[in-house]
Amino acid sequence: MAARAAAAIALAAALALAAGTAAGQSLARLTVRSFALTSDTLHPRVDEPFHLIVTLRVREREMQIANLDLPLLADVELLGDERQTVSGSGGTLYRETITVVAHRSGPLAIAPATLQATDARDGRAKEWYTNGLTIVVGGAGTSALRSGAAELLARALGVARMLVWALGIAVVVIAVVMLLRRRRRAVAAAPAPPPAPPPIVSRSRRQRLDDALLVLRAERTRAAAVAVRGAVWKMIGANDGATLGDVLRRRDSFVPETRELLIALERSAFTYDDDLQPAIQDACFALERAMETVP
Amino acid sequence: MSASLADLRAALALTIVGQEGVIEALLLALLGNGHVLLEGPPGLAKTLACRSLAAALEGEFKRIQFTPDLLPSDIVGTRVFDQRESAFATVLGPIFANVVLADEINRAPAKVQSALLEAMQERQVTIGPQSYALPDPFVVMATMNPLDSEGTYALPIAQMDRFLMKVNVGYPSPAEELRILDRFAVADTQPVRSVAALDDVRAWREQAHAVHIDEKLKRYMVDLVTITRRADGVRVRAHSDEALRASDLIDYGASPRATLALAFLARGRALLEGRDFALPDDVRAVAAHALRHRIGFNYRLVTEGVSADRVIDAMIASIPAP
Repeated sequence: MAARAAAAIALAAALALAAGTAAGQSLARLTVRSFALTSDTLHPRVDEPFHLIVTLRVREREMQIANLDLPLLADVELLGDERQTVSGSGGTLYRETITVVAHRSGPLAIAPATLQATDARDGRAKEWYTNGLTIVVGGAGTSALRSGAAELLARALGVARMLVWALGIAVVVIAVVMLLRRRRRAVAAAPAPPPAPPPIVSRSRRQRLDDALLVLRAERTRAAAVAVRGAVWKMIGANDGATLGDVLRRRDSFVPETRELLIALERSAFTYDDDLQPAIQDACFALERAMETVP
Repeated sequence: MSASLADLRAALALTIVGQEGVIEALLLALLGNGHVLLEGPPGLAKTLACRSLAAALEGEFKRIQFTPDLLPSDIVGTRVFDQRESAFATVLGPIFANVVLADEINRAPAKVQSALLEAMQERQVTIGPQSYALPDPFVVMATMNPLDSEGTYALPIAQMDRFLMKVNVGYPSPAEELRILDRFAVADTQPVRSVAALDDVRAWREQAHAVHIDEKLKRYMVDLVTITRRADGVRVRAHSDEALRASDLIDYGASPRATLALAFLARGRALLEGRDFALPDDVRAVAAHALRHRIGFNYRLVTEGVSADRVIDAMIASIPAP
């Protein structure tokens, strides 16, 4: 677990480097409109992947966002990372989806992501932070959760009450905005609406293989190979604690490319150190071939 | 080199129908420089397997039938007086061979068993004032008949521990039995052709010794052996459908020699599969062979109608592979 955590930290750092630029490079001039960290669930379950999403909106049209540091994910295992930059007349929307999995139940604090840029409004170099996140990982045998269930329920009811109020206020505000927009549209063409963030859908098999390839290319270590092997096994529905022989007997493994991938990942997880890099390279090729077979 | 191992396996399979477990056990013992204990009814090609292995390696084969009146000197050899020379001469016993079949080892008394097991361990025999090294490679394949226990001398656990592995030999399938009929009932069988030399065996052993075992696998092997000593959490279904704790059926678990045996056997299996690194599959495939004769089961195993192998399988299944 410690090795996986260390790998996750190292990988997060590597990905952060990949997302950003080398230290010392001049900062981009940006007008930050919003910068947030969200999760597709605040109550994931143990060993079930979920996504952390970093969203940045800026006024300028940018092809890529530099100097954005992802949160260090020491308590979860990193499975993949996907970046998307949409720029248009309304500005730029940068969205990074990090696929992670927690192996322990209980509360989990995710530190904020950071962005270094020159504020276009006053020309000063600044650092922006997203919000942090506290996620409660649920799982079998979480006695602490069970004992605090009543308290959580009471809190949830309170939050729901507030949400109803907020919803009411929002409806009124939206109605007013719509009314104003209609009036404006009569005078001049309305500006293009900002691009809507893509909906969060469960990761397809191809995306998961893509995540695995990304991780293995970024971190060519034994720990990363073991983590990718575990993720691929989970993807085809194999149990933890099974052997390669058990997995190859599964119907999902009858596809030659999948078999080749499983064997290559097994080799990279257990071979001797001198053979590790060639084994990881073969596993990357096998991942690419497996992706070609997935629609 | 692994091609030659494949040739050896293929040559043995040409003569022996089925019994892949016996063939693999012999090869693993050869690669692990250990000895095999086979338990199964008579007539299951155990002798043929040993003879074929020796022939395929250009080695010498000897068979010793263990009986209650056997003496240690009948195995290791003795000193006889040569009247013409007026001096004692040493006559080496049948143990001086590359492949030795000790048939029905539990039919001979403890002192004879001890003589054999000591030779297996020390790989040398002392006759009179002089010690004689046994040939290399030296593999003993000892058999026990589980059906007929009248007048037998059970091997103590401490002596069983010296066998690298114990394999249960089962009856062939109907299809295999048909092939046996075709192959052996019509004409004389073809002798096994020699496919490797004894030097090749020594080279294979060195290769097997160099097979890499990852740290995760080492921990897995230790866990597999440790669970035999603390099997409280393992449940086995009894004949009465009651879920029994495995620890209630075991008096004592496997020794650290079992961990070493697991490593030897996993390395050997990896080499047989053409790999220079071991996988969890290798460990799991040989685990029962390495543990079976090293666990002391108590009387409840019999009274509850549970087989030892079911308990061992449950313990192995309780440890997740890395």
